[in-house]
Amino acid sequence: MSEFKELIKSFNKTRDYVRDFFVYGFKTREDFTGKSIRTYDNERRRIESWLGDYVKQDYSATGKNIHLSIDSNLLDTNPLYRVWKAKSFTDNDINLHFFILDTLSCDDGYDIETLTDMIDEKYDCMYDSQIIRRKCNAYVKEGLVRTEKSGKELLYFKSESADLYFSQFSELTDAISFFQLGAPLGIIGNTILDNVNETNSIFRVKHSFFVHTLEDEILFELLKAINTHKEIELTVKSTKNDNLSTIIGVPLKIFTSTRTGRRFLCYYEPDYKRFTTSRMDSIKEVKLLNIFDDYKLISEKLDNNLPKVWGISFNSYDNLRMEHVKLTLHIDEIREQYILTRLESEGRGGTITKIADNTFTYEIDIFDSNEITPWFRTFIGRIIDVECTSKRMEQKFKSDLETMFKMYEI
Amino acid sequence: MNIFSEIYNCYYQILKSIITNHPEISLEDLRTNISENGFEESLLYLIPKLESGEWNLFEKEGNLFLSKIRKDFSVPLTALQKSYIKTLLQDRRMLLFLYREEIENLDSMLADVKPLWDDSSFYYYDRFSNSDPYEDDNYIHNFRTILHAINNKQYITIEYISPRSDRIRRENYLPCKLEYSIKNDRFRLICLRKDRTSNSISTLNIHRMQSVRTMSDTFTEFPDINEIITNSYYKEPVHLLISTKRNTLERAMLHFANYKKNTNKIDEDTYECFIYYNEGMETELLIEVLSFGPTVKVLGNKKFLKLFIERLKRQKEF
Repeated sequence: MSEFKELIKSFNKTRDYVRDFFVYGFKTREDFTGKSIRTYDNERRRIESWLGDYVKQDYSATGKNIHLSIDSNLLDTNPLYRVWKAKSFTDNDINLHFFILDTLSCDDGYDIETLTDMIDEKYDCMYDSQIIRRKCNAYVKEGLVRTEKSGKELLYFKSESADLYFSQFSELTDAISFFQLGAPLGIIGNTILDNVNETNSIFRVKHSFFVHTLEDEILFELLKAINTHKEIELTVKSTKNDNLSTIIGVPLKIFTSTRTGRRFLCYYEPDYKRFTTSRMDSIKEVKLLNIFDDYKLISEKLDNNLPKVWGISFNSYDNLRMEHVKLTLHIDEIREQYILTRLESEGRGGTITKIADNTFTYEIDIFDSNEITPWFRTFIGRIIDVECTSKRMEQKFKSDLETMFKMYEI
Repeated sequence: MNIFSEIYNCYYQILKSIITNHPEISLEDLRTNISENGFEESLLYLIPKLESGEWNLFEKEGNLFLSKIRKDFSVPLTALQKSYIKTLLQDRRMLLFLYREEIENLDSMLADVKPLWDDSSFYYYDRFSNSDPYEDDNYIHNFRTILHAINNKQYITIEYISPRSDRIRRENYLPCKLEYSIKNDRFRLICLRKDRTSNSISTLNIHRMQSVRTMSDTFTEFPDINEIITNSYYKEPVHLLISTKRNTLERAMLHFANYKKNTNKIDEDTYECFIYYNEGMETELLIEVLSFGPTVKVLGNKKFLKLFIERLKRQKEF
């Protein structure tokens, strides 16, 4: 029986557990089918260890469940970042981290043999010079150490101190404090704050979906592919039946909803000559392939299509090429200007027309009218009519309203 | 470059902090430090490693642990961290923190570094279009004055353009937090009135501030904003029944992930969810629930249900 450890080698397995505990929070041990009880217990214990302050337990008729209770209104940082700080390592890793960075200097370079001797002398620790070399080379890749050639010898230096940046630009700490919550890949900003021993106490971020950080490793790879215009092979897990499939595509943009918490990769499938999207949390693996020659052309085509995409769908709800939707609203022009402001700021370029006193229409052409329905519903209480070239959408909207009236006996 | 790397590990950070702040530390203080800054079970792993010398970073002298590493130990920024900073320099909100010239200088210091993304890589498809004017000089000045005041615990005087009447109101405040909304792409100041009689929070849009000046008076401590916010929550949460139809459960759980909530399974097709909120969040929560249509049913609290039914009744009149 292996000993329980709170650190982990790989992020993938844990990612799904944290997501389930955080997003759903109602699953009992029995709901985690396909996993052994020991696996569940270990994962649960780890999450309790990392995020103890946020873990709550409940007892329901279906059994005990644990969930993460995180109120983003009250937090200066994303608690889920702690999961990223649980990577396992060896004794050599941690010893050499401190020995090498303590011994190397920014100004004087040492070759590996000299560095090995210095570490032996200073810390009374004998290492094979190959081990030191391997670690130093790994740190060169990470940017913590740099090399310079001196004759036949390769000299190792410590990279410049973080202070070089933070002492010169004093407001940079405040900036990082904000962006670690207010911009993508905030975990990186958070590690910078760790490095300079700072924490955020000034900024709060609303409408931030903390759970997105669990996809940051995938996002990082996708951004690399987007930056270099490369095709990718995606391994995607179906959200309906857990089946894995492989997709070849050209990644173009990350589509993010600031309301629903969903994030998607938008990509072009050359085999089918179409744009499509996959949910970020369904992407399990990304492999970078070759450069896609027509990247710029495809990217421009996507930009031209964007005004017609209400959400993430490029396909019609009713097998039409394009769907025209029209919402007629009652708005008190004097007292309800904020509703007009809402239509303007949330309406993504749709046309607003006053057709009578206190009566306005909002119209737009989009690919998939089904996607606009949730937004239309937010105007319930003032909707005079909904019209759409997709009769299916129109009927669904109206029958849903009837169902709601019945639900509340109105 | 890896995000999931031991370089950022919590244990590394704890040890770095002990080495630089407490190069001589007792076992008790070591335990306290690890308990405060580590994971819940970190103590069980770190202490034996340090005591046995497997992690050979300290020398033991009696009850004291003496660091073998220099007190001024530092870790350079990684390539990943530099790339992240380089990326942020392109963000127009950086102007709220650094002057253009500073951004240019920092950018040239990072000349060899590649950014991780550019603005066009992300498309926030449902973000409001009327974002704050981050390049406006007066806006930048007001933002920085507030930031400076929070950092130095200074009261501020704000001339604020009222959203309803366009009248300008002048008031003195204790600034607490700057709140950014990703959906609105706007900053708001969370503050308390200086001459307050109760601890009720004011939330002011930065873009509606005509001017902000720091006052000469300072305060000694920030009020406990979290306590004030928590106390402002209604005792009874919103009580929802969520159907599994149309994938609603999955969508609702993610949609409401920002709120303090609790969810239970009722049967195979139905779940109940309790969402905690205050008056300031009420309208937004109401329209969010409305957006789900008939697959989410409001059961309570009474006030929320009443508001919800009022909207439906008004709708039926059309």
